[in-house]
Amino acid sequence: MTDRASRKSNGQPGRVRTVLITGATDGIGLLLARAYAGRGHNVLATGRRVLADDQDLFDAPNIVYICADQSDPVHACSAIISAMQNMGWQHLDLAILNGATAWVGLPEQEPANGMKQLLDVNFRFQIHLAHALAPFLFEAAGRLVMIGSTATKKAQGRFATYTATKAGLDGLCRSLREEWLGRADVQIIHPGPTRTNMHAKAGLNIGLAKWFFMSPLRVASAIQYAIRRRDKRRVITRYFAFKARFSSAREGIL
Amino acid sequence: MKALVTGAAHGLGRALTEQLLASGHEVVAVDRDVEPLEKLAMKYRGACLACFADLQKVESIQNLLDRLQGSKFDLVILNAGISATGKFEEIPLQAYDRLISVNLGAPLHLASRLVGDEWMSAKSKIVFISSLSHVVGYPGGAVYAATKDAIASYAHSVAKPFRKKQVSVLTVFPGPIDTAHAQKHAPDQSSRSKRMAPEKLARLILKASRGRAKTLYPGGKTYLAACFGKLFPNQATRLMRRGLYDKMTGPSY
Repeated sequence: MTDRASRKSNGQPGRVRTVLITGATDGIGLLLARAYAGRGHNVLATGRRVLADDQDLFDAPNIVYICADQSDPVHACSAIISAMQNMGWQHLDLAILNGATAWVGLPEQEPANGMKQLLDVNFRFQIHLAHALAPFLFEAAGRLVMIGSTATKKAQGRFATYTATKAGLDGLCRSLREEWLGRADVQIIHPGPTRTNMHAKAGLNIGLAKWFFMSPLRVASAIQYAIRRRDKRRVITRYFAFKARFSSAREGIL
Repeated sequence: MKALVTGAAHGLGRALTEQLLASGHEVVAVDRDVEPLEKLAMKYRGACLACFADLQKVESIQNLLDRLQGSKFDLVILNAGISATGKFEEIPLQAYDRLISVNLGAPLHLASRLVGDEWMSAKSKIVFISSLSHVVGYPGGAVYAATKDAIASYAHSVAKPFRKKQVSVLTVFPGPIDTAHAQKHAPDQSSRSKRMAPEKLARLILKASRGRAKTLYPGGKTYLAACFGKLFPNQATRLMRRGLYDKMTGPSY
């Protein structure tokens, strides 16, 4: 079923694709970058960190890393576009806009500058990058994948701004998908709580709850499954992640 | 009662301000364009305070808050909003930056500070203006729709923490409004008669702000459209594409 599905959605297997993944130095992004590189695609990974030797982190020759700080969307986007041009990429098959941060606390205590930064990193940057990538994606009839969050399903008193940015991305993808119909595909994928470092970075101690969170590896494979299936909006539940285990991508398939 | 209205110079904000003043309330009217507000301030001497603020800029919002130091509000309507319509990739990024700051950054900043600094009196209300696009999508205004979705989500999230401070939250999802601003972003051939008059919408919002409702889909047509959008989200967005995106002539921002 998998092979048939993937052949249907990706044409002939074996072509090397160009893949851009943001926020790829940690968590889900890192696993996605390794997975796509492992299948033989050329991956451009971006992140905030300045890496002394990116080969150590990614362990793959076909991953190129560039530092792009999303809190400055204008510079980050121009860095990404010039990196793509330097690599000679005329088109882009897949862009996964995964990088995000969070702030935890009561909304009335949120500092104004932190709020602005969160909006820049999680929302404004994604819009700038989608805008900049549009010609590359249209060239390849490629795919723009945004990573949201299942937090958007409920009221999140202590993650209000984070959740708002993710709900914004959901709305953006919904309208943009319709606008880009026939030119490029737009998907939004909402992973459930995942055992990554994002919570710790946001200053939240998840304690024993982490045992109820899904492992990043499983979430990353479920995201790839959702991308292969071309789901326009996918919430990664435990059941979906379980189903993803029975689907494996072959070499050369996105 | 003391109220704060942003984007008070034109359109819906103007109608809200006039109705609040007419019913004898005190209003702090905020806009980038203060000239029309000064006339109102002259008419309702003492009751209307016209304040300049450019909600695109964080410093300007901070100046506004400094100026209002010590106030206690019973009603805050975060109404100011702008739009940018056309093909996503044809609208310049500066327009998106403006859109994000005014439609999303400013209301979040203001709501957080007003509640955080205890400027809301007990049993007060904050009104966020989202859009019907939250339920039906908006091809041709993707980033506008995104900011309005984000506002709806934020309002939903903060309702509980704000309630502990005795502040309740109302989110309004208006459909097309008959204002000069909306006219600029609508397709040329669309008829004005189908849009709601800002005065009527203002009446509905003020009525709902006195009640306990958490959300408001003003008017029967808006409510029906919202029901359709919730039941058939894909078809609703497809219809929006046919009705708006396919008829658009060029970007407007």
